[in-house]
This record gives sequence, structure tokens and C-alpha cells, in this order.
Amino acid sequence: MLKKADYLVVDDEPDICWVMKRILSSAGGSVVTLQTGGEVLSLIKSHAFGRVFMDAKLPDIEGLELARQVHKLVPSLQVVLVSGYYYKDDPTIQQALSAGLIYDFIAKPFTHNDILKML
Amino acid sequence: MLTDIQCLTLPDKMQLYSILLDAIPSSILVLDESLRIVSVNRNFLEKSQRLMRDTISRRLEEVFPAVILEHTSIKKQVYDCFEKKRVVRGHRMTYRAPGIPIRTYYYSILPIGEDESVRLVVLLMEDVTEQVRLSEEVRRMERHLASVVESAQDIVLSTDLSGRILTWNSAAEKLSGFKFNEVKGHCWSEFCSQVANIKGFLGQICSGSDVHTAEWELITKENQMIPVSWVVSPMMDDYRKVVGFVAVGRDLTEQRKLEYQLRQSQKIAALGVMAGGIAHEIRNPLAICSSAAQFLQEESLPTPFARECADKIQVSIEKISSIIENLLRFSRPTTASEMVSVDLIKVVQEALTLIASHAKVQNICVNSQFPKQRVLVNGVASLLQQVFLNLCLNAVNAMPNGGALTVSFFLYSDCVEVQVEDTGVGINPKDFDKIFDPFHTTSPIGKGTGLGLTICYSIIKQHFGHILVESYLNRGSKFTIKLPLQQKDS
Repeated sequence: MLKKADYLVVDDEPDICWVMKRILSSAGGSVVTLQTGGEVLSLIKSHAFGRVFMDAKLPDIEGLELARQVHKLVPSLQVVLVSGYYYKDDPTIQQALSAGLIYDFIAKPFTHNDILKML
Repeated sequence: MLTDIQCLTLPDKMQLYSILLDAIPSSILVLDESLRIVSVNRNFLEKSQRLMRDTISRRLEEVFPAVILEHTSIKKQVYDCFEKKRVVRGHRMTYRAPGIPIRTYYYSILPIGEDESVRLVVLLMEDVTEQVRLSEEVRRMERHLASVVESAQDIVLSTDLSGRILTWNSAAEKLSGFKFNEVKGHCWSEFCSQVANIKGFLGQICSGSDVHTAEWELITKENQMIPVSWVVSPMMDDYRKVVGFVAVGRDLTEQRKLEYQLRQSQKIAALGVMAGGIAHEIRNPLAICSSAAQFLQEESLPTPFARECADKIQVSIEKISSIIENLLRFSRPTTASEMVSVDLIKVVQEALTLIASHAKVQNICVNSQFPKQRVLVNGVASLLQQVFLNLCLNAVNAMPNGGALTVSFFLYSDCVEVQVEDTGVGINPKDFDKIFDPFHTTSPIGKGTGLGLTICYSIIKQHFGHILVESYLNRGSKFTIKLPLQQKDS
């Protein structure tokens, strides 16, 4: 039986985790934050997350690679890539979107509404 | 032997005299007062292609071609010798006997006689055709060499052992504005900057026959500084003793301009490479600022949280500002070309700051070991920074899947070595000889210009240093920059 959790945020910048936690909590969800990609796979096996918000550049893994692994492990779990490294019409992002690897992409800096629209 | 001669009979003496005359390698004619030939040696007969019987008792006009007698005053000089005992020594004439090439002679006219009377006159002719030909050949070569030196576009000058100027070609006059007579005898170092002790430099060359190269600025008449690349060689005499120096100098102004443009374009390329890392690094604090500002717009925000938001905005803005400042510092054109005292640790630290973002997004761990004391070298800080930034960027690009970048310092008595080591893909052995070639790149199209290492090489050479490479395919590369330490007294 999976534990119920609403949102998972993966970003190596603590202040981004602080921001995301505040936005997502304000929408009434429970939030788990992680600063590396290492624990994500074990966590999504044990918890039923509604969404994963992840950075494209993590200290131990590329965000898109992590998204691929998440997609393989829990195909129903939707990953939103939140990054300052890419831009919306970046070919890499367009490819990931069309392959269904990520649910959507949000460029940093973002409006809180951009995040809330994903819920 | 002399007593033997005195014992000889007259015919024997005459024979001995004849043998002696024939043995002399010059032409000898003995003339009487009526200018008839009374004696002649074998050398003359051979040169003039005559027989003894057709020469003895003949008048000078019959033996000598009329053209010679018309164009020289030999006849008059012989008369003067009889009448006034006037001796002629070492006059020059050319003579061409029928069927043989032209010959050149030095002739002397000498009186023979006792007391005041001159009974006979000797006309002594030495064939100097070969010496004249050789000296003309030497003069021709000298003229040719002089015209080569004069036509050269490079400065060609020569000095004596103490460095005083002996020759100064047209190119030197044109480039410096000083005429030869203005520099002659002056020390070469008076017209060069950055030469603390040219005599010491020349002394080093004296000790060997090696060619030495150096880059010193030439000071022109208008007090302008022109960068010149010099090649200095010792001049030797026939006994292999150094008697002076030859310096050939090439104006580097145009080359410097091109190098400058190349460096600027390479900076732009480097900025392009770093753009991704920089964007990621700047957009994080921007996102934090933006979100904190959006929180502050909310109604009835608790004061501690509002303060927290304001603090986060403050810190993030400082982060962005410092990234931008580093970028500006790097991208601005370098106006400084003057070598000054530079702390190499600071230079390397600045380069590492610039690539920190790029390294971070590629999961590269940066390790650096700096000495506790300052490491001072003579140089241009921005150029050296460009070298280390290039090497670090190359290292980061060689590790697309992460790795470690290690920068280490090794101090020696007169030099410093800085090693930039990565654990990346390494250099393919077939590319190893080409890595410093301009436009050689293994980066995908649009990702690298192939100028980075070319520029590094040129900058390090300008700083009298060396750049060494070790690399193993799929294991990583190590670039070592070796620079001379600033001398304590300079």
C-alpha cells in the first residue's frame, strides 16, 4: 500500500525548494523536497505522488534522464521540468514533450500561476 | 752555397741566372736604353705566347701590343727610369695576347746600374688576374648581400661585442625613423624597451653559437613602441671567435592586431559555450527573487516571512550581480598589453569562478590546491585568465557525463607549474599533433572554434612560458602551464 503524498520537488537549490514548497502547500497539497536525484526512484516506489517537479540539472543526474527512469518505473506519474537551463521551444524540450517523457516544461523564473496551472 | 757561386765561371753564372729567372713566377723583361729586350724569362714568353728568338733584341713596341703602349705610359715610365732613376711600383694594366683571355698585371719598373748611371731597366709583371677575379667576386657578393639586407622588409642590424650598432638597414630606418648615422656607435639597447641588460643577454649568446629569440619593443623617433620579434645570432671571424652580433627583427604590429581579434572572437565563442551554465545559474536566483516578490504581493503576510522573502531577494540579487561582473570582466576587450606583476593564484581563481556554473550543471567536481603565498609572474592578467578559462572550459567539455576537474600549483625556485587535469574523454592519439593548430576542433559544429588552444599557446609563448599536454583516451587529459616566476629584484 503506497503512502499518499501530493507533490515531489527535486531541485539542488534549497531556496527553490523553499519557494515550491510554499506555492504547492498554499494549494493544499503535501510536499516532499529532495536536492538530488538519487532518492527519487525509491521514493516514488513507496509514495503515490500526484506530480513531480524537477530541475533539469541535478548534481548526480540529468533531469531528463531521471524523468526517463521515472516514466519507466511509474508511467502514470507526470513529471514537470522546471529549469533555467532550457527554454520552452528548445528542441530537447520539444522532443521530451512529444515523447511523453515530461508532462510540461516551466522556465525559471516562473509565476506562481505557472506552477498552480500544473496541479 | 754563396761561396760556390763565387767560384763559378761566367757561363755557369749566366746559366744559373737564366735558371733563376725562369723559376720566378712573374714576367721579367730587361730593357736597354734603346728599349730593346736584352733578357726575358720563361714566364713572359708563356704568357705572351712568344718565342725567345722572336723576343730578344726586339724593341718594346714589337713585343708589347700597341694598344697597351697607347693606353699606359709604360714607354715613358721606362725612359723616366733611365733618365731620372724614377721607380714605378705596383701599377695595374690589362693585357690580352692573341688567342688567350684577358689578363691583369701589376707591373713595376726598376733601374739596374751602378752609381748614378742606369744601364738597364727591369720591367717586372705579376699576373694578378685570378686575385682580381676573386676580389671582384667578393665585391660582387658583398654588393649582393648588401642589396639583400637593404631590400629586406625585416630589420637587419649588426653590433660589435658590446652591442654598439655597426650596420642598420633601410627597414630599420623606415620602422624606427632613425637614420643610420643617428644610431651608428650607439648601443642597440637604447632603441629597445624591456631590455634591462642587453649586455648580459649578448654575453649569454657569446658563450655559445646558438641563435636566440626574444620579443622586445623598438622605440621609434616619435617615442612609439613597436613590438618586434628578434632573432639574434653571434658573428664569427675566421677563427670561430665571436666578434659581434646580427639581429633580425620583424614588426609584430599586424600580427598583434590579428591575435587581438582572434582572442576577442574566441572570448565570444567561450561565452557561447558558457551560456547554458550561466543561464541556469542566473535564472535560479532570478526565480527565487521573482517568487519572493510574488509572495510579498500577497495580502496579510506574516512579518517574519516577509522579512525572509526580502532577505532571499537580497542574497539572490548579489549572486546574479557577481556572476554578471565576472562575465563583464572577461568579455571586455583587453587594453592592457604591459607586462606587470600578476598573482597567478588570483587569475586561476577568477577563471574557476567563471566556469563554476558550467561545471555545476555538468556534474563536475572542481578541486583546487593553491599555495599559501602569492605566486607572482610578469604578465597581462586578462590574457592569462583567458588561458586558464580556456583550459578549464576544455576540461569541462571533455566531461559531458560529469567527472573531476583538478587544478594544482607546483612551485620551483624560478618557475611555477599549473596543472589543469580532467577525467574526461581524453585526446585521440591521431589528433594529438594538431591540438594547437588553428581551427582544429573536435567539438560539434557551432560549439567550438578550434582557436582556444591556439590562443593559449600564443599567450603562454608571449609570457616566455611553456604548455605541455598529457592525455589518455577515455581516461582524461592534463595540461601543464609552466611560467617563469617574477625575479625578486625586477
